[in-house]
Amino acid sequence: MRRLSLSSRLALLFAACTAVVSLFAGVLFSRASETHFIELDQQLLDGKLIGLRRALHEIQSSDSKIKLADELSRQADLSLRITGSDGKRWYDSSASLPDNLPQQSGLSTINNDGTDYRVLNAPLFTDKPDSPQLTLLLDITHHQHFLQRMQHLIWLTVGLSALATALLGAWAAQSGLRPLRRMSAVAKGVSAQSLNARLPEANMPPELAELAHHFNAMLGRLDDAFQRLSAFSADIAHELRTPLSNLLTHTQVTLTRPRPIEDYREALHSNLEELQWMAQLVNDMLYLAKADHGLLMPQCEPLELADEVDFLLDFFAPLAEDAQISLSREGRALIKGDRNMLRRAFSNLLDNALRFTPPDGQIRVVIVDSADSSILRFENTGDRIPDTLLPRLFDRFYRADPARRKDDSEHAGLGLAITQSIVHAHGGEISCTSRQQSTSFIIQFNKRA
Amino acid sequence: MKLLIVEDQPKTGHYLRQGLAEAGFNTELVADGNTGQQLALSGDYALLILDVMLPGRDGWQILQAVRSAGLDTPVLFLTARDAVEDRVHGLELGADDYLVKPFAFSELLARVRSLLRRGSASPQETSLQLADLRLDLIRRRVERNGQRIDLTAKEFALLEMLLRRQGEVLPKSLIASQVWDMNFDSDTNVIEVAIRRLRLKVDDEFPNKLIHTVRGMGYVLEERPA
Repeated sequence: MRRLSLSSRLALLFAACTAVVSLFAGVLFSRASETHFIELDQQLLDGKLIGLRRALHEIQSSDSKIKLADELSRQADLSLRITGSDGKRWYDSSASLPDNLPQQSGLSTINNDGTDYRVLNAPLFTDKPDSPQLTLLLDITHHQHFLQRMQHLIWLTVGLSALATALLGAWAAQSGLRPLRRMSAVAKGVSAQSLNARLPEANMPPELAELAHHFNAMLGRLDDAFQRLSAFSADIAHELRTPLSNLLTHTQVTLTRPRPIEDYREALHSNLEELQWMAQLVNDMLYLAKADHGLLMPQCEPLELADEVDFLLDFFAPLAEDAQISLSREGRALIKGDRNMLRRAFSNLLDNALRFTPPDGQIRVVIVDSADSSILRFENTGDRIPDTLLPRLFDRFYRADPARRKDDSEHAGLGLAITQSIVHAHGGEISCTSRQQSTSFIIQFNKRA
Repeated sequence: MKLLIVEDQPKTGHYLRQGLAEAGFNTELVADGNTGQQLALSGDYALLILDVMLPGRDGWQILQAVRSAGLDTPVLFLTARDAVEDRVHGLELGADDYLVKPFAFSELLARVRSLLRRGSASPQETSLQLADLRLDLIRRRVERNGQRIDLTAKEFALLEMLLRRQGEVLPKSLIASQVWDMNFDSDTNVIEVAIRRLRLKVDDEFPNKLIHTVRGMGYVLEERPA
């Protein structure tokens, strides 16, 4: 079943609230008027009772009914019944009085044949226990009509005001929810080609500002990821184009005319180099693709970082000696991780450091162990990396110097991206800071329970 | 010594057979899983090279059939997929090695030789020798033409590997994995530097060079006519 729209829901709620409030006010008012009428009638009847008692005392003495009729004729809507102490009806002032009247003393209200009466029972002589009973009846039909009309009016008011607020509420909700529709219009317009659309956060109501902010942030992240992905695909094509073009040209040129055997051998060797480079590129990209799909699953075993770093420094020692760079390590820390993956990550960093550190430079690996994290800092005395380039270092195919390509390295600028993937797979973070003569790659592994 | 290759891609199969034949192996190539399994179960082969994806029945099924027939022929898997589960699955079924395409032929050759050598453990050697180069495994000393050569521990391990596998082209990745225990594609020229230093000590002073670079493939230790 389709849920009600927000506007209809709000309009109905407004209408219900108005109905409840106006109903409550109406009922209160109607009760108050009724009570007021009862009080008025009570006063009137009490007043009449005194006059009638007096008139009836005189009847006893002077035996004249004139005074009584006089007393009664002053109030046209008032009737009187006198009942003896034995229950016999002695007197009715009007012929049409109802037969059954309430017996209890005090004020009550009855209805007889469409006529409403207020009835007051009282003894004629207040000091005699077997006194005849006086029953005063006041015709209050017009009061009741007035009350009924008022009740109708109340119902009408309730209905109309509910309807009016429903309509007004629907309009108010519609215009109040306009920012939401703007949001949905923006969302509707978003596609891979137009990820740069944003909601104007400034003129959003506060309730929606946060949502708009997160919505924009989400668009931003999507845009960023999408840009990277498109750039990645373009880069792959670009990276493969050069070796492919070399292969094509070289092979075709070689085949254009007969050549000495040495030339063919040379052509094949050259092709082999291009092919190996491409194979390496594909393998690295597959590794990154696995990382992207969360398929890099480190086999966690306890590792002493100092041992792993020493192992790699030993491996790189001949290269460093050749380049006249000194290697050192300080600190220790025990973490859980995958030996081969971490060796690969660290060896990429050391390999990079060796390439960018000038002769007589230093590469230091500092391990800091604290209660909640283990930090490795790979420091080298290479040239400063400009701040603008730092955030892009871990991008795929990124090279600090675009002119450097395929010189002595078999890798296509994927080394740092791979290192980052491995660190992330271990739940760690990697960052880079660079000052004059000091560049550091910092890896932080969090210790979790 | 016969090898069986079960590979459905004609080009790959053809080059594998040619390469292995030129390396001195007697090989047979079939392109579908069913024939492959029949031949494998005959027990005539010293090594099986199986592609995972095959028409008829896949490499794993062949391996399963071979192992349940009680044959312990070494099996080398070739696959274009490199999922961890695949690797684990293959090893659980009893595969001996695993190569992911694209691989270098020199890598394949080196692994084939390792697998074939595994079965026939040679008697405990006390020394290795080629021409006038002698490596004493017990005293851990190296001599050439009677002249003592001082090597670091890694250089000794590297030379030992070259001597044990003399005549074989050893790819850099295999050297990195065997000598340095670096079991991933390390993108460094550390191996080149290490070989260069070893040459400096072992070859430079002698007219008869033993360590050779096979361009694009790796290194080989052998005596070549001048």
